[in-house]
Amino acid sequence: MGLRIELDESKCSGLGLCEAEAPELFEVRDDGSLAVLDATPSDEHREACEAAIASCPTEALRLVES
Amino acid sequence: MTATFDATDFESEMFDPDAVEMIPATGEGKPDHYPVDISTKAFWGQTSEQREETFKVLRHEQPVSWQRPVDDAVTPDPDDPGYWAVVSHADIVKVSRDNDTYISGQGVLFDLLPPIFLELTQSFLAMDNPKHDRLRKLVASAFTPKQVKLIDDRIALAAKEIVDDVVAEPSGEIDFVQKVAKVLPTRIFCDVMGIPEHLREATEKNAADIVAWADDEVLAGRAADEVQVQAATNLHDIATELIELKTAEPSDDLITSLINAEVDGRKLDEFEIGSFFVLMAVAGTDTTRHTSAFTVRAFTHFPEQKQWLMEDYDGRINNAIEEFVRYACPVMTFRRTAVKETELGGQKIVPGDKVVMFYPSGCMDEKVFEDPERFDLARANAKDHTGFGGGGVHFCLGNQLAKSMLRALFRELLFRIPEFEAGEPELLGTNFMRGVKRMPFRFSLEK
Repeated sequence: MGLRIELDESKCSGLGLCEAEAPELFEVRDDGSLAVLDATPSDEHREACEAAIASCPTEALRLVES
Repeated sequence: MTATFDATDFESEMFDPDAVEMIPATGEGKPDHYPVDISTKAFWGQTSEQREETFKVLRHEQPVSWQRPVDDAVTPDPDDPGYWAVVSHADIVKVSRDNDTYISGQGVLFDLLPPIFLELTQSFLAMDNPKHDRLRKLVASAFTPKQVKLIDDRIALAAKEIVDDVVAEPSGEIDFVQKVAKVLPTRIFCDVMGIPEHLREATEKNAADIVAWADDEVLAGRAADEVQVQAATNLHDIATELIELKTAEPSDDLITSLINAEVDGRKLDEFEIGSFFVLMAVAGTDTTRHTSAFTVRAFTHFPEQKQWLMEDYDGRINNAIEEFVRYACPVMTFRRTAVKETELGGQKIVPGDKVVMFYPSGCMDEKVFEDPERFDLARANAKDHTGFGGGGVHFCLGNQLAKSMLRALFRELLFRIPEFEAGEPELLGTNFMRGVKRMPFRFSLEK
């Protein structure tokens, strides 16, 4: 079982709340778009990842178990 | 230098290309105006604690209620049938996040304001996607966690210098708003925008005037629309001067970025940059200012919270700040317009209906926040507050910057001023910004 982060770019507004929660996984680039730095994070990042996804005000992120 | 605006200024394509056609609001099929009336001037003249008594009644009886138009509107509209008042946390979140049903492009302010004022001031605040995101992304990258971290040292230094001035005051009493609350956000906003010293005071003054349209003291006998339009025009003039300065001498600031930015292959014009500037001058200087004032007041009422926070400041401040914002909730209202038929809180909403969210009520919703009147910095779900909005594309852009300023300011205040108390705040009269005009702050450097 691995984790996979899915980003819906059409919903992302580039605010960076996810980056504030998990800077090792997310980074808003200079053009305002979001880079997912590690789309398949290891289990140790699960908590930070869940917090980051929950913090998104536009519900642009999803975590799927694959 | 005076800016004047005529109709041609509004033909700029950024303002209109795919705007939804204005749908007139209708009173047809609506219930009677709800007897618990939150449109009176008297209601908005109350303290937030008093208003909360009424919001609580509405949350229990009628979380989405049909209300008559606001009293003493700046620009009354005889055809306005009223609005839906949304007071529960769940419904505020629902409206905030459903940006396809509830749009911003037909205005976002609760009060009825002159159209020229709206054009001058709102920029992407009153836009919908895709236009909203295109414009907002131009500035968003300046407010990300990474960017804010880069100016953390500057914020910390500013906070330190402000508190240096406080502790040097021999009488042990200051006006917190003048000496602290307004100083930090104004200084940081001006730094980020690249505003030189000689324009700073005017920027602050005009940004404060803009939100004070219902405050008799600030108006001082002038007509509300006159004060607003004047303040907005003054800010546009400042923006024009900044554009000239930064075009001649570009530097590492937001005005320079806006001058160079391109949207869909075209640069922003002076008017668009000006509207950006007005929006951000208000959003960037007023909100954090009032939050810090209300927080100092809250510490006066809940002194044990001060102690608790100081025991592990770095570990606790981030959650504490969420509670600061929940408790202060400076932005009280924003409006949307429905463009689809839908149901909300058991009411039938039809296209054209105005839907107004009351954020302080969301912050005090007992279904979400246990014992909501308590200022509790350890509150586990403090960050679910509606102080930055209920989510969606209009969520507060400056939230990271606000948090950084509050973190720095309270570190200085709590650790360097062992004893302080805030007196009764003098509140700003408005239905938009929960603001403090003056508040005595008495302190002692000895424990």
